[in-house]
Amino acid sequence: MYRDALREAIDEEMERDSSVFIIGEGIAERGGSYKVTEGLLDKYGANRVRDTPIAEAGMIGVGVGAAIAGARPIVEILYVDFAMLGMDMLVNQAAKFRLMTGGDGRVPFVMRTQGGTGGGVAAQHSQSLEALFYHIPGLQVVMPSVPADAKGLLKYALRQQDPVMFLEHKHLYMTKGMVPDGEHVIEFGKGDIKRPGKDVTIIAWSNMIPRALEAAAKLAEEGIDAEVLDPRTLVPLDKAMILTSVAKTNRVVIAQEAVRRGGVASDIASIIQAEAFYDLDAPIEIVAGLNIPVPFNLELEKASVPQVDDIVVAARRTLHAKSFALAAE
Amino acid sequence: MARPILMPQVGQDLTEGKITALNIKVGDKVKKGDIVAEVESEKAVFEVEAFETGTVLEVRYKVGDMAIVLEPIIMVGEEGEVLESAATTGFSGENAQEIVSQAGESVTATPVELARETETAWLKTGTGGSSPLARRLAGSAGVDIAQITGTGPRGAVVKRDVEAFQRSRSGTASVLPFSGSSVRASGGALPVRTLQSGTGDPVVLIHGFGGELSAWKPFVAHLGLANPILALDLPGHGAAASSVATDFESLTAAVHASLVAEGIDRVHLVGHSLGAAVAASIAGGGNLQVRSLSLLSPGGLGPRINGDYIAGFLSSTSEAALKVWLELLVHDPALLPGVLVRATLAAREGTAMVDHQARLAAGVFAGNTQLFSIRDALLRFGGPVRAIVGREDRIFPSEQSDAVPSHVGLYRLPNVGHLPQLEAASLVGRLVAEAVRSAG
Repeated sequence: MYRDALREAIDEEMERDSSVFIIGEGIAERGGSYKVTEGLLDKYGANRVRDTPIAEAGMIGVGVGAAIAGARPIVEILYVDFAMLGMDMLVNQAAKFRLMTGGDGRVPFVMRTQGGTGGGVAAQHSQSLEALFYHIPGLQVVMPSVPADAKGLLKYALRQQDPVMFLEHKHLYMTKGMVPDGEHVIEFGKGDIKRPGKDVTIIAWSNMIPRALEAAAKLAEEGIDAEVLDPRTLVPLDKAMILTSVAKTNRVVIAQEAVRRGGVASDIASIIQAEAFYDLDAPIEIVAGLNIPVPFNLELEKASVPQVDDIVVAARRTLHAKSFALAAE
Repeated sequence: MARPILMPQVGQDLTEGKITALNIKVGDKVKKGDIVAEVESEKAVFEVEAFETGTVLEVRYKVGDMAIVLEPIIMVGEEGEVLESAATTGFSGENAQEIVSQAGESVTATPVELARETETAWLKTGTGGSSPLARRLAGSAGVDIAQITGTGPRGAVVKRDVEAFQRSRSGTASVLPFSGSSVRASGGALPVRTLQSGTGDPVVLIHGFGGELSAWKPFVAHLGLANPILALDLPGHGAAASSVATDFESLTAAVHASLVAEGIDRVHLVGHSLGAAVAASIAGGGNLQVRSLSLLSPGGLGPRINGDYIAGFLSSTSEAALKVWLELLVHDPALLPGVLVRATLAAREGTAMVDHQARLAAGVFAGNTQLFSIRDALLRFGGPVRAIVGREDRIFPSEQSDAVPSHVGLYRLPNVGHLPQLEAASLVGRLVAEAVRSAG
């Protein structure tokens, strides 16, 4: 499972590199709210696996400081929503330090956190905030969608010299998938074709990948062969893979759970229109969350973020297929 | 005898422009050559010249109005003449010339009708009523997109319409990559020639799109290697002009098969451009023991290619035209061997070379896009590999070479274009030789 893959990565890297440590709320005694860090306290002791008070600004500050001093901290923030308390440390300190020290100072800091909707936890616990970090030069943004990627990317993150925003998804922790044992490291900036296809490219990440794959399966029944492209890291972005795919399919749907306005999808769309304009046979479709705080009510929550059928409909539009009403579920 | 002064058509896509200045008013005298108005298109302001001498009878727009292309801005006639107002026929771009030549009737139409007609014209001519890809495909196939019936949103012409149109035209080549027949080299193998005999694992040189093996001859001396040095002609090129490869896979397969037919199982590969991509693909395929790989201006590192070059190279039939395109290959045009232009044209004479190269191009390039990538192949290749590119390359953007995996030695040469083996022969010879020797 996704959460076991994350634990494997942390465990292997803590074993390999004694400067790796992890702090967070309830991660030691309780093994973490999503059980990612279960068992690590027993193995590595309280110096390297440490519970913190509910004080995210302090936790992120400690992490960034420790990274500057040469350690390799992982700071687990329970919800990405709470990372906002540490934005000064992330945006003004961690992201800038290398440049402002002429390259001498490095910040090998990893913030692990999770976002997205998942079962009615309401507006302050359901956001997808990757665009905030994506916007800040100096931060790398990683959003794994499957267990194998979660492990490989986290191991790579723990070998970087610059800050990494490692954004997991609360819906994905219990998802299953094969994970290579041992040394499985995935370089940043290398996307992955989760399903090859020739008619339309669906670009998605994190929890939108399972939905895009489900959408692709439905489209296949209609004879539409969709390619599902997972950039895996938003910064750096695998532009070459995206442009190559667009050159093949000529049509693009970008699906993000985050709200539409000012999102990463808009930026990817702008890159495609600038660099692959004459490969496009239809306007780029963006499927995204509504520009609202995520509602508490489960049905409204569902309506506020993209579902499988939203992706299906958008893909059909790019193929200029006749739109027809979808049967209500 | 009122005659119109028309809103000029400047640029294919312009349908209307904004009147930014009117230098005349009703009753003024104008003579041929006078600048009567200024009109602004998207980015440029241009002047409207009077092609008629006479008195201004009517000014159809005021400053700030949008004027429709090939519609009258001003009506000019004899002093005192009264403009007939009863004309009922509409005025559109199609009959403008006719009306101008008749120049006898006054012409009016209601703005509403004009707007409607213009919108239809806009969709028909494909400016906005077609997808960017459809325009590109139609353009590269030499088809006027206005002839194509659109089935996209609001009748827009999309890719499938261009394809359908192409299919409906009998006897014309499709703009789509050919599939099906791959290689039809007589006997299956490509011509391989030994440029230098020697000892050790052979070095095989693979030329790029539009080249041929003999072009390597001046470069061989710069290598200073004792190994045997061989070169081959790609399908549709040089002595293999009669054979065809129609996609990247069959191109690679043809080269691979020819090396095997020569009894080569251990080899150092040196390729240029498309030939470099073939070399990388063979090296990554793992079926031959590739000892080292040297890629000069390799294709397949990113999606972009200068599609105009390919189209221009293939379509040029005169020395003057071909010279202009070939000069794009080098940073300093003086370095382009004068004989190359004539030799290229002579080689095409009496062979299917251009046709076969065009079919290959259609299978491996689509406009400004390379349809193949060597990234995965490079990732799979474990031996020493060097990529040498010119910073001033006008065929592939030089930044595209950033995409090489970290284990590839990347050399970016200043003041060099697409032909480093010609433009910086001794340095490139040294770099390639080092790669060969480093394999032991």
